[in-house]
Order: sequence, then structure tokens, then C-alpha cells
Amino acid sequence: MAQNTAEDTLSLLTRISQKPGVQSTLILSRDTGAIVRTSGLISNTTSANPNSTLPASLETAPDNYSNGRKEGGMQSAEDVASLVWSFLGAAGKLVDGLDKEDEVKLLRLRTKKNELVIMPDPRYIMIMIHEAPSA
Amino acid sequence: MESTMQQRKDEILAKKAKLAELKRQRELRREGQASRTSARGSPDNLFQPTPSRADEKRNLDSFINNIIGDSRPGSTQPGSPSGGRPARPTSVLSASQLSSDNEISPPFKRLSGMVDRETQTLSIAPMATVFEFDGDTTTTSVTSVKGQGKEKEVITYSKGVQTSTDWSPIRGRGSGGSDSERDDSPTSPKAKRLSRRQKEREEDIRANLKKEIEEEIRAAQQASLDADATTSGSKDNFPFKTLSNEELAAVENSEEFAGFVERSTKVLERALDQQLGYDILADYAIGGMDVDEEDEGYGSSGGKKGRRIKELAQFWDERWSKKRMISDLGFSTKFPELVLASYTKNPSAPHDPDGLVQVWNLHMHDRPEYIFHAQSDILTAKFSPFHPNLIIGGAYSGQVLLWDTRAKSSPVQKTPLTGSGHTHPVYSIDIVGTQNANNIISCSTDGVVCGWTVDMLSQPQEFLELISPPPAKTEDVAMTCIAFPQSDPTYFLAGTEEGVIYPCHRYDRAGAKAGVDSRARYTGHAAPVMSLDFHPAKGHIDLGDLVLSSSVDWSVKLWKVRPPAATGTSNGSTQGSTQLVKPILDIAREDLVYDARWSPTKPSVFALVDGAGSLEVWDINVDVEVPMQKVMPSENKRGAFASMPSGMGYMNRSLNKLAWERNEGRKVAVGGMDGVVTVFEVGADLGGLETRAEEWSGVKRLVGRLEGTGETAVNGK
Repeated sequence: MAQNTAEDTLSLLTRISQKPGVQSTLILSRDTGAIVRTSGLISNTTSANPNSTLPASLETAPDNYSNGRKEGGMQSAEDVASLVWSFLGAAGKLVDGLDKEDEVKLLRLRTKKNELVIMPDPRYIMIMIHEAPSA
Repeated sequence: MESTMQQRKDEILAKKAKLAELKRQRELRREGQASRTSARGSPDNLFQPTPSRADEKRNLDSFINNIIGDSRPGSTQPGSPSGGRPARPTSVLSASQLSSDNEISPPFKRLSGMVDRETQTLSIAPMATVFEFDGDTTTTSVTSVKGQGKEKEVITYSKGVQTSTDWSPIRGRGSGGSDSERDDSPTSPKAKRLSRRQKEREEDIRANLKKEIEEEIRAAQQASLDADATTSGSKDNFPFKTLSNEELAAVENSEEFAGFVERSTKVLERALDQQLGYDILADYAIGGMDVDEEDEGYGSSGGKKGRRIKELAQFWDERWSKKRMISDLGFSTKFPELVLASYTKNPSAPHDPDGLVQVWNLHMHDRPEYIFHAQSDILTAKFSPFHPNLIIGGAYSGQVLLWDTRAKSSPVQKTPLTGSGHTHPVYSIDIVGTQNANNIISCSTDGVVCGWTVDMLSQPQEFLELISPPPAKTEDVAMTCIAFPQSDPTYFLAGTEEGVIYPCHRYDRAGAKAGVDSRARYTGHAAPVMSLDFHPAKGHIDLGDLVLSSSVDWSVKLWKVRPPAATGTSNGSTQGSTQLVKPILDIAREDLVYDARWSPTKPSVFALVDGAGSLEVWDINVDVEVPMQKVMPSENKRGAFASMPSGMGYMNRSLNKLAWERNEGRKVAVGGMDGVVTVFEVGADLGGLETRAEEWSGVKRLVGRLEGTGETAVNGK
């Protein structure tokens, strides 16, 4: 009831994209790879619908340039999308190879700077990149 | 002569005209083909990386079918009239060559096999036409010469096919193919009878196909090169598609997307919060100085280590918790990380549902796991101990509601507002019985107690109206709380607004009628009783007759309850007269006490919350006058009063409810006026599963001593 309107859905996404530490989020369609929503990323081509960009968290705005980003301060949504896409494909192959009936449910990838959380769903893929706690 | 010459001339002219005409037609046709080619199979299309090879193949297939189908409908079917007649051995030959070549170039095996097939399909097309045109076109005189000329061009087609297996030099080796073709076609009698037009057509098709196939090959080469070069992250292969605004809107409004977002954002939030709690990649060799994390600030308490209380989490939601008070709290027995909180209405949001239950997850700090609504303020709610998915609540309207975590936010069942059932607020509710036979017992402030089955809330299974025994001023027993002993689900205590606690029976039994047991009454509180709690008694010694009550008369009292059957007879008082039972221990506090609960595991420990906003944990074995610990929730999330300066006095910090986690007894949740739920963890001395035998016998001895010293023991405060 409370969560079913598009507005509420959007506010949930905005919420997560504005949580402290979250640099960017991305939602892809599972079958076509089309970008449904992004935040904290710029799109350098026309591949992403400009309307699909959500407000990003404030603290990751200008002063975080050095943190794993390109010169422009932001990575392009397409780059991230295609990289994640192929990463997910590789992970899917791995799981398939181990057990045909298994499937990927969640990928957490820790890097020195960030953590990627990738959650594939039957129809969509949710990607979140956030700062890893300084370890 | 003249005339014959003239005739000859005319004939020649006619032939020339015919030739010209034919040529023109051919040109036209070629143009048409060309335009069709560009329309359907433009190089761009082919070079565009499509998701899979299968698609490319399908495209090409359909394209070729289109071409052939257009020029000669029906001829592409293998089962066409000419079936099985080897008119063009070339195709067979080339096919075998191809297959032998295949072994040389394994990477392109599949592709070349595909090309191979196209060739065969093509070869069928002319066969069909041959058959159809056999009768009517044999006599054209021009054909033979022209036909020969055409044959040479056919060779180029053959080249194409043959070279297709040999990838890099596409035009490299034509001779072999052309030889076979040349050998073949002139000697075949059928071929000579092909009409020129047919040949033209056929040739056009071939030329076209050749072009197509070459393009396809090139595309395939390109693709495979790409794949080799950049196996991962090849952007060319990434299936991008831009969503238009309409598509975007469609996606976002779909139920599926909402469900996905709901699920995935929860996972993400848990992932984020988990990270905050503990970093599994922590390297203690590197950092190594965060040893003194036991800070003693606000929200945690000092003292001996085992007696510490540490704040774990606070839950508050801007959208829903705002301006609501917490009316009840409860941990899930199945999932000990889930805490439910019920809320009263938000007076400044008339359009929001009045009643609210939020289920919080200790692993997700900023957002409730579930939100449930009701049309009236929820005054009490708890997880059903027997069905982990069910939440039962009592409302100000007198309704008993049932929510299911698998369903939506509105209740899956509720009792009717009128008729049978409650018509006054339901402040207390319990689920008694066993896994297979349990009932919801609810009580309202007009003295009505109802028993319900979880499956049917349309009418009560039991209905009992409590009547106050004579000395009371009013007939109604204005119940604020009820409590069942662990051992007996047919007997309960009811705390009232006058401060009296009545023992009650659900059913008629020997020596007592259903309803208030008039032979005993527990008096001592001077103001409404806010909570009653039987000792959970799971240990060596049965302490199940100890009851803790709290009241807004600034006190907590400990009672020893008479066994229900023995009430009338044991103390020799005459039937009908009421025995007034006094508490065995009276603990005066410094403020209104809103709730007091036994620890589910430690026999001597209980916790209470008061109007000043503190949580106190007591151990009656150690001290009956001073709490072991006293803490206040931190002000990180100040909830409804965030904008006010701190220290506004009682009201804004007041805590209404507390709940222990039932399985381990390590966590206590408290909540109050400001709508913030705070979860504390208590030290090993105050919680946890380990209990020593002395703790149990200590309580027993204490109770014996208290009983011996007189009915009341006031701690002097």
C-alpha cells in the first residue's frame, strides 16, 4: 500500500542514493542492459535517458574527485554499466559451471577504495558503489 | 533479295530492339535489387553488434529468404517440384569443399557451416525455376550466346562461396570453383534451356547473396576480432538501448519494478549497515589502536563489565515515526533481529492512517523492514509466537487486527467494529496455548475479555465480561493490562485503572466461576497499573508465581500470586469475603513507571522504564533498593522533539514500553513519547542464557525472607 506508487519507489531509490558513503547507484534492465536509473554518474552518450538520473548524495559531490574517479569527477554510466554487465556475465558463467541449477543472487566486490554491491534480479540489476570503510 | 535482305534487316532490328529491351529490363531489375539490398541489409545493420551470433544468422537467413522469396515465391522450400534433381552439382561440390575446409579453420566452424547452408538454399532456387519454365521458354534463339556470356558471371558467385571458407583472401582462389562451374554448366542440357531472364535473375540473386555473405563474413571477423581483443568489457558488444521517457515511465510504474526496488534497496541498506557494524576485512595488525571502544558516553553505561548496557541501535523514520508515540514493542521469536513497534496516530497528518506498526531490523538502521497500517491507533501489538509471519494488534477502536509479513501493509484480518467483540480500546493482548491450539486473548477497558482464533476474527470464540466485586465504585473493570502465567492459560491477572489487580478465570471451574475471582484481590497500587508480568520461570526452581507490576504511582511491586485453585481454602477465610493481598516487595521510583519486565533468562533480573526517560535494569539478588544500571537513550535520533532544545523536562523523553529479546535475553528495546525505538544490549551479568543455580535459589530465599518479614517491604524511598 505505502510502497507501491512510483513516487514511493522513487523516493526509496533517492534515499539509498543519498545515504552517506554511497557514491553512485545504477539500475539496469536485465534483458537489454538499458539504463533505467542512475545517480552519481554522468552519461557521456545519449544512451541514458537524462530523466533517469537521481540526485546523488551531497557529500560525494565535488570534493571526492580523487576517489577512484576519472578526471571529470564522475564515471560515465555507460562505462560502469558495461563493465558491470560483463562482470556479472562472468560471475554467471562461474556459477553455471559449478552448478547448473544455481544462480547469482548478490555480488559484493571490495576494492581498495570502494565496494560494489550488485544485486541481479529476474528483470533488473541493481548496482551500488560506495566507499569502503577505511580498513 | 532485297526483300529478304530487308527481311533480314528487320529481323536484326527487331532482335536488337528486343535485346535493348532485355538489357533495359535487366538494368532496372538490378537497380531494384540494389535498392532492396540497401534497404534491408545495409552494411551498417550487419556491422552493428547484435547480442548473439544466432541473431545474425537469423537475420541473414531471413534476408536471403526475402530476396529469393520476392523474386520467385515458393522456390526456397526444399520440397519444391525440382526436389532431389542434381541440376547444379556445384553446390554439392562446394559444400564438401567447405566442410573439408572447416577443419582447417576451427574458430569459424559454425559460421562457415552457416554459409554452406546458404549456398545450398540458393542452389535450390534455380532448380525450381528450371522445372517451371521448362515448357515455354526453350525456343528463344538469343539465349545460347548470351547464356554463355552469363555463365562466366555465375563463376564469380561460385568464387564467393568457395572463398568464404578461406577467410583472409576473399578473392584469392577462384579458379577451382570456376573450373567446376564451367565444366558443369555448359554440359548440362538443362542449363542451356534456362531462359535468359531466369539466368539474369539467378545471377542477380547470386551477386546479391555473394555481397551479403561477404559482408556477413567481414562482420563476423570483426566481431570475433573484437571478442578476442577485449573479452571483457567490450563496449561494442554491450547491448545498449536508450529508454524513452515513456518506456521509463512504464518501467517505473510496473508492479514488478516496485517490487524489485523494494527488495533490492533493503538488501543494499542492510549491506551498508552491516559494513558500519563490522568490517570483515579489518586488519588488526595495521590499525590496532581502537581498543577502548567501550566509551562511556551518553547511551551506554559504565560500571563492572558484566553489568554494562550498550546502545546498539535507534530506529526512527522521518516519514512515519514523526509525531507518533510508541505504544508497544516486541521482538520476534523466530528472527531475533526484528523488533516491532506500534504507534499512536500522528495528530498533524490526518490523511495518514492513524494506526501504525513498523518492524525494524537490527541490521538495517534507517528504514523499517515492514510497515503496517490500521485505521485506528494501535495500542498494543506483538509477533505471534506460533506463526512467525503474523503480527497481532489491538486498536483504540476495539478492533483486534492481524497482519501478515507476506502480505501488504493493511491487516489481513480484523474484528468487526460493532456487535460481538470489543467496543472499547484494547490495551492488552496475548497469545496463549500451544503451537497447535492457541488463542488470542484481548481485553478492553470496559471489562470485556475475548478469545479469538487466528483463523477467524469475525467473531470471538470466547466472550467474558468482568464485573467488579462489590467494594469497587463502578461495575466495569477498566483493564489496562492482563498477564497469563506460563503454566496455566485459563487463569490470568488483570490490572485496572484504579490500581487494583484482579485474578480472573476464563472458564467456570471447581469453586470459582468464570470472571473475576472475588476471593482475592491484589491491592497496593494507588494509580492505574501499567504493566503486569509473570516470572518466565524456565529454571531449576519454579518462580512462576512471582508477578511484577508497575504503576504511575511511581512504584514497581513484586507479588506472590496464590495458586488459583487454592485461593479460597488455604487461608481459612470464609467464602465470599475478599482477601486483600499485599505485595511482597515495593520498590518506589523517582518517576512514573510505565513498564516493568522480567528478563526472560536471568531469574533475578528485571528492567523498567519511567517517565523521566530512563531504562533501569535491576537484579533483586544483588540489590532491591538501587538499580544495577540506569541509562537513557542517546539523542542521536531525537525524533519528534529533534527541534526542541534538550532537557525540556519529562514529557519528551518519557519511555512508555520495553521489551526483552526472548531467546537470549541480551537485548532490550525501549520506546516512548518521541517515537524513537532504542535497542540496548546488556552485559553478561544481566542477560544471556547462562544462569547459575544460586541465582535461582537466591530469588527463592529472597522471596521467603520477604514473605516472612511481613506483607510489605517498602524500601524506604
